[in-house]
Amino acid sequence: MSEYSERIHAGLPLDDLEIIDLHAHLGPYFNMHIPAGDPDSMIRIMDRCGIQKTVLSPNLGWQSDFVLANTMMLQAVKAHRGRLYGACAVNGHYPELSLDELNRCFQERYVVMIKIHPAGTKCRLDDRRMERIYDFAARRKLFILAHTWLDKDPYGNQDLFASVAKSRPDILWIMGHSGGPYGSAHAVELAREIPNIFLDIALSMCPARQIEFFVKELGAERVLFGTDNPFIDPRPQIGRVGLARISHQDRVNIFGANARRYIRFDESAVL
Amino acid sequence: MTTKLRFFDCNCSVGRTGYPHLYDIPDAAGLKEEMATAGIEEALVFHTAARDAHPPLGNSLLIEEIKGCQGLYPVWVVLPHHTGEMPPPGQLLAEMKARGIRAVRMYPGRAHHSFSPADWSAGELLSALDTARIPLLLDTEIVSWEEVFSLLKSYPRFPLIMANCSYRHNRFLYPLFEKFQNLYVETSRFMGGGAIEDVVAHFGAHPLLFGTNMPQYTGTAAVALLTYADLAAQDQEAIAGGNLRRLIREMWP
Repeated sequence: MSEYSERIHAGLPLDDLEIIDLHAHLGPYFNMHIPAGDPDSMIRIMDRCGIQKTVLSPNLGWQSDFVLANTMMLQAVKAHRGRLYGACAVNGHYPELSLDELNRCFQERYVVMIKIHPAGTKCRLDDRRMERIYDFAARRKLFILAHTWLDKDPYGNQDLFASVAKSRPDILWIMGHSGGPYGSAHAVELAREIPNIFLDIALSMCPARQIEFFVKELGAERVLFGTDNPFIDPRPQIGRVGLARISHQDRVNIFGANARRYIRFDESAVL
Repeated sequence: MTTKLRFFDCNCSVGRTGYPHLYDIPDAAGLKEEMATAGIEEALVFHTAARDAHPPLGNSLLIEEIKGCQGLYPVWVVLPHHTGEMPPPGQLLAEMKARGIRAVRMYPGRAHHSFSPADWSAGELLSALDTARIPLLLDTEIVSWEEVFSLLKSYPRFPLIMANCSYRHNRFLYPLFEKFQNLYVETSRFMGGGAIEDVVAHFGAHPLLFGTNMPQYTGTAAVALLTYADLAAQDQEAIAGGNLRRLIREMWP
């Protein structure tokens, strides 16, 4: 039984370790109702379960206007310094504008990652227009979080993601959703082969024993905590990691220590 | 929330599947292990062979598989009787009562069990379920919301539970919640940000039933969704298991 079982069942936040959410969004989305999609609601839910920091890029960043998304992101991180951090959205169909956005967003020291949604933008990960975006990420040693799915995704399936990650070892790649609910085994195969791939746990269809599988077959050091908040409520992901049959140190790594190893979070505004 | 919730899961299965998400966990012992990991006490269980092979076969396998397993209660998958694969509704329900069946599931549609849920096909069965107030679970992705509306309108007594209902359905659900008291949502995928609190704020806690879809999915996620919910304790208890226990008590009036 997990050392956090009692706390989780009592609804108490896990406040003796650091929880950093590297996969989150913000705001409305066209085909669903999101009751708690504003920054204040997101912070309130983070507080209930003990998430200290969330890195977000707004939902409208992939199927709508990514510039507007980035403006929303900047407003949110400025209003909640030390709690909300930004992932700059880019879109390969707009290579010049994407570079402008990267330069605009990364002037803000609370922007720490890049977000790509190949399926939403219908721009393949290996599209040549992405190259200068990747160069920007490499110069700054950034994580790129890319939405992936096992199959049926010609723009960002797991194999395509892996081939791009292999061709750009100078970038840290987060396999968003680890390829979805049926993608776990292939995600591990690819991450074993390509050392700059990290697995993301954000899912609504959470396979039984997936966290244990990742830890056993790949190692907790390459697994990153993500939630999809507020697209998906973040609280279930706390349960998945907090109640999984893994060691305390593995839990510490997944919840936040791994993110700390690679991202320098500016905390100058945190009291 | 300080009192430990007593979770009663309305959406579990035993049996092998052709396309497991990750691990094959086919038997009741494996399900019980998943329940223990998540801290879930009781569950309604159907057999995957009743869904993926043939209802009578799976239903009989289920009874054997969960025999003697404390906290596991049987759910049968049912078909209309016209082909003779299942007995007529009166006989079926008598058998269900004798076997302690707590709910039924249906898989209508050409891609599933190839029957219509409309009255010309399933009407006699649905009427019998309605009279006996047997909870009916339907997988959200395999029926249309128009079919759900028709069922709710025609059969106001049985609880209609939308299983595996994802976070994308609120715009269908809310107008139905406004109109029907016998519509319920199982929570394993009902994970939109703040979705549980929003439903309770608008409609109360009664339409929500805790579920996990174990052992395909983990129960740990569904548990934390509710333990960390910003709700009154009595609402959390109702969703965790109180609502389902009440529905089971109200069967066979």
